[in-house]
Amino acid sequence: MMRISMTVNGVRESADVPPGLTLLEFLRDRLHLTGTKEACGIGECGACTVLIDGEPVTSCLVLAVECDGREIHTIEGEAVDGELSELQRAFIEAGAVQCGYCTPGMIMSARGLLLRRPDPTEAEIVEAIAGNLCRCTGYEAILSAIRLAAERSRTGVSDEE
Amino acid sequence: MIGTFEYVSARTVDEVCCRLGDAGPSGRPLAGGTDLLVDIRNGAARPALLVDIKRLPGFDSLRVGPSGEIKIGAGVSLNRIAEEPEIRRRYPGLAASAVAVGTYPVRNRATLVGNLCNASPAADTAPVLLALGAVVTVFGSGGAREIALRDLFASPKRTTLAIGEIVCGVRIPPHGGPVRTAFAKQQRVRGHDLAIASVGGAFFRGSRELRIAIGSCAPTPILLDPIEFGEITADEIVERVAITAARAVSPISDLRATTEYRRAVLPVLIRRVIERLLGPDGGER
Repeated sequence: MMRISMTVNGVRESADVPPGLTLLEFLRDRLHLTGTKEACGIGECGACTVLIDGEPVTSCLVLAVECDGREIHTIEGEAVDGELSELQRAFIEAGAVQCGYCTPGMIMSARGLLLRRPDPTEAEIVEAIAGNLCRCTGYEAILSAIRLAAERSRTGVSDEE
Repeated sequence: MIGTFEYVSARTVDEVCCRLGDAGPSGRPLAGGTDLLVDIRNGAARPALLVDIKRLPGFDSLRVGPSGEIKIGAGVSLNRIAEEPEIRRRYPGLAASAVAVGTYPVRNRATLVGNLCNASPAADTAPVLLALGAVVTVFGSGGAREIALRDLFASPKRTTLAIGEIVCGVRIPPHGGPVRTAFAKQQRVRGHDLAIASVGGAFFRGSRELRIAIGSCAPTPILLDPIEFGEITADEIVERVAITAARAVSPISDLRATTEYRRAVLPVLIRRVIERLLGPDGGER
C-alpha cells in the first residue's frame, strides 16, 4: 500500500492504495465518482478521459500512485452548485448525447481543448476528440456542441434564455 | 487492479539503475505507461517492480540548440514534441511523426523515448529520428554512454539495453547546414491506428545527402544506406530508393495488411516523402 494525496474536483483526497490500482479505479471504486466510464481499458476508446493538471489523459492507463500531488478534474467537477457548465448545456442543446456512455470522456477532452485553445479551429476540435469513440451520434452533434460552447465563452453569452 | 507489483518513484538515475539491476528481468522502468500498462493488464508483462522515471531531474527537459541540436529527456511527452515551435519549424517531419502516435490524451502521457524503447517495428517516431542520425543516451551501472538509435533496436519489442540500463534521452546532433524532414504513414483508418508501413526521411541540403528510414516492414525500424545523387531527376531518386528499400525490408502479413500490400505501398510512401524533401516549397508538413 502507498499513501497518496491528490486534489479531485477541488477537494483534497488522501488514501492508501496498492500500486496496481489505476486512476480510473481510484475515482470510481474509492471515491465513487462513477461519472468517469470504463469501456476498453487499454486507452483506445477515451471513455475514461479525465484531466490531470488541466491535460486530458486516459485514466485507465494511469496508476493512482502516479497522481500523487496532482490535480484531477472529472465530469463531476463540471457542474458547480447544481448548475451545469456551459459545455454540458451545449451538449444537451446540440443533441450530442444519445446513450451517454462516451459523454463524460467526450466532455473532458473538449474541456482540455477549450482550456488550451479557447477559440479552436474545426481541425483542432476533430483532433481533440479523435480518441473518444461514440457509436451513437455520428459525431456531428458533438462537434456542434463544442463549437457552440467555444463561441459562447468567447462572446460571453452564457445562456440563451 | 491491473496487476500486483511494487512501485518506486525514483529521485536519481543511479537509484533507477540500482533498483532495476537488483530486480533483474522482473523490473521495468515506467515513463508514460501507455504501452507497459496495457501489457501488464493483458498479461503480456508481469513485472514485480516498476521504477517511475518521470520525476527524475532533467527528464522533462526539451532543449533546442542554435545549430539545430535537440536534446529530449526521457520524460518528455509526444504532445510536447509535436507542439514545440522550434521542432515544428526545424524538423516538421519529427513533429508529424509524434502526432501520428495514438490520440491526444495518450500523447499527453506517452513519451518519445518510450515510443523508441518499446521497440515496436511500427514505432512512428523511429524513422525520422533514424534518418536524422539521432543518438540515445544510455545510463547504467557503468555510467552514461551514447549509442546510435539504429543500435537500440534488437527485434520486435526488444532493445539492446542490458538489465539495469535505461535511456535517459535522445539527441539529434547538430547538422552542418539546413535539413528538411518528412514523414508518411499508411494506416487502415484516419485517426489512431498502428502503421501498416511508414517512411521517414531527412535531406541534408548542404551535403545533398538523402537518408530514408522505414517502419513496420521489418523486425525493427530500419535505416537505408545513405543515398548519393548528382544530377538526376526526383523520379530517378524515388526509383533508386524504392529498389534499395525493397531489398532491405522483410514485411510480414498480419491483421493490418499482407506482405504483398506492404511491398506495394512502400514505394508510394517513399515517393511522398522524397517529393516533400526535394520539393520547391520546403516540402515538409
